[in-house]
Amino acid sequence: MEKGDRKLKGFYKRAAAKLKAVPRGVAAAFERLFAFLKWAPLKVWLSIFVMGLGQLCYGQIIKGLIYLVSLGGMLWFFITKGFDYIIGFFTLGTVEENTWLGIKGDNSMNMLILGIFAFFILGFFIALWITNIKDAAYTARRVEKGEKPHSFKQTIQTATDSKFHVTALVLPLVSVCIFSVIPIVFMILIAFTNLGGDVIHPVLADWSFSAWQKIIGLSKVGSTFVKILRWNVLWAVTSTLLNFVCGLGLALLLNKRNVRFSKFWRAFPILAYAIPGFISMLGFKFMFSQSGPINFLLDQAGMQKIFFLTSDASAKWWARGIGLFVNAWISTPSIMLMTTGILSNINTDLYEAAALDGANHFQQFRKITLPFVVFATTPVLISQFVGNFNNFGIFFFMRSGVYSLYDNYFLASDTDLLINWLYNLSVSNNYYSIGAAISLIIFIITSAVSLLVYVNSAAYKQEDTYQ
Amino acid sequence: MSNKRRHRSPKQIAGRITDNFFTYLFLLIISAVFLFPCLWLILSSFSKSGSIYDFRGFFPTEYSLQTFISLFTDDVNGLYPYKTWFLNTLFVAGMSCIFGTVLVILTGYVMSRFRFKGRNGVKKLTLVLGMFPGFMGMTAIYIIMTQLGLVDNLWSLIFLYAGTAPMGYLVQKGYFDTIPNTIFDAARIDGATNLQIFTKITLPLSKPMIVYTALTTFAWPWSDVLLPKLLLKDRMNWTVAVGLFNMPETHFARFAAGSVFIAVPIVILYFCLVKHIVNGLTAGAVKG
Repeated sequence: MEKGDRKLKGFYKRAAAKLKAVPRGVAAAFERLFAFLKWAPLKVWLSIFVMGLGQLCYGQIIKGLIYLVSLGGMLWFFITKGFDYIIGFFTLGTVEENTWLGIKGDNSMNMLILGIFAFFILGFFIALWITNIKDAAYTARRVEKGEKPHSFKQTIQTATDSKFHVTALVLPLVSVCIFSVIPIVFMILIAFTNLGGDVIHPVLADWSFSAWQKIIGLSKVGSTFVKILRWNVLWAVTSTLLNFVCGLGLALLLNKRNVRFSKFWRAFPILAYAIPGFISMLGFKFMFSQSGPINFLLDQAGMQKIFFLTSDASAKWWARGIGLFVNAWISTPSIMLMTTGILSNINTDLYEAAALDGANHFQQFRKITLPFVVFATTPVLISQFVGNFNNFGIFFFMRSGVYSLYDNYFLASDTDLLINWLYNLSVSNNYYSIGAAISLIIFIITSAVSLLVYVNSAAYKQEDTYQ
Repeated sequence: MSNKRRHRSPKQIAGRITDNFFTYLFLLIISAVFLFPCLWLILSSFSKSGSIYDFRGFFPTEYSLQTFISLFTDDVNGLYPYKTWFLNTLFVAGMSCIFGTVLVILTGYVMSRFRFKGRNGVKKLTLVLGMFPGFMGMTAIYIIMTQLGLVDNLWSLIFLYAGTAPMGYLVQKGYFDTIPNTIFDAARIDGATNLQIFTKITLPLSKPMIVYTALTTFAWPWSDVLLPKLLLKDRMNWTVAVGLFNMPETHFARFAAGSVFIAVPIVILYFCLVKHIVNGLTAGAVKG
């Protein structure tokens, strides 16, 4: 433990050193900026004020026109819509809907997302402006040296050669921004509004901490949160251990020297691994359903039917157990494949030496195999833990739409993990701000665990060698 | 060990026999546990009656090919148009595969080969983004798609799958990292531009990676339920996964047949690619 503490301390030290370096870095940047402005010739100044004008003056007609047209487009966007979007981002709507007077009210949610969008466009605009200035300065330096400004053909050539990385990354970056970054920023911000529940269009929303108050407070939401969090941790620990033990056991069994046709035996777990997850999960749902085959057989045998996956209290531990089983059925094979690979890396000399010293099979397993496998799979174990903590599929497919009718659960069932609850709240039931706050909590837990792993692994190994 | 036969005492032989017995017993049990649900689903798909209530136990009482035929010919008054769903799925998965592969390969290549300002920023950003719960932004995505007028349109899914694919560039980057730099340097000396290096050298060298990427970007839309469920409202626009998700118990045989039909290609793919997948899994083990 002490070692881990020292590593963490090292991590903090580095972070602190980086923070201390910030003011110096800022000062240096300003110095460079002033030097640049002092040097800049007239045509560069033209570009600083009007994007593309400097390029036009240097005779780079096409490039200059492209810059000018995008400047026009941007200005048009901001004058007609963008400024309103940005103002809307702060107010979240001021006009209430009034059907009598035919006033179409503001939609707070749309205004929030359009505001974020406008900020992104603004950022892109600024970035484009900076490239324009840099480009003009580059041309000015060439002219100072007595060289000719780049022709358009040359510009295209740079784009495919020395600036290839920029050209190649533009499309991925833009698409990730639109479909991944903006939605996430939106959700982070929505956690600090009162959107959702009763506050959806036409009602106007506002910035507030109401969601956090509800989660921390003693309301129904708060008590549900505590119950779900407790089960979520229990689930993550048990299912990770169960999957790991089963997977390792399976790999060891198939690795035994007296097993013939191990490829044949291995095919069965791989079959389970290969079937798309949602099909296996839906299949198991049918298998355990009220009138499914298992209940039918129980009925035939004269026993009482068990309502495995229904909403009342009797189903609680059945459903949880079935969830653990199905999750093990689906994920054990991948752990098996992984540990098989790791087992093949163990030096077999170790076993022979141990056998010579009179160690039996169990001792060999405990002293050689287990430490090695645990050591080699720790990172995987942690990522499995994070994966299981956020294992949405199992209970979504097996018990979707089931809300427990006892114990004051708020839009959740007794098997739901935080992530299922998040889905119930924000996608199925429009409780946006609470859902967003939950996702922030999930993010904090996940990243804390990941940070711990990171500090304890690769990046800090180097440090270890010197200690 | 094999060249000299050791003499074994009867006790050792007995030990070996019990060891063998238990090993194979466990193997049989485990294989049964994994095989049984699959077998159950496959046999159910050949059942004569559709509803799970007529099964009387695990397996159907009578077998026929009827379910597979009606899966494609009879859509029960437009409730279960499997053929349309299948074509939709094929279209979405195919298109996402093409665009997604291009974007991921480009990202992975650039992140592996080039050192530029902001590279570390991009790396950290994707790391942080990856820690948010996957569908956290689903509400926002719905609003964005409404603004773009793409709700209930298959292209919305294609944009999403292909557009977010670059987030998973690390595997591809890892592959490009293994190509020795000398090859690229030699090409640079011969005067090739970076674009030429990418198209004429990198792409031919990375065929296995392209195949792997194409398969993974294809398999994801093929079996995703959440996004299509969110964005596709009209039954005729659904993908197979959403359709199967909404099948009731009275159409259990139809569910089984539909599942078997789309699971078989994926299962075959996995068996062909098991080596690649294991490599991917253990690579993750080293990097964490």
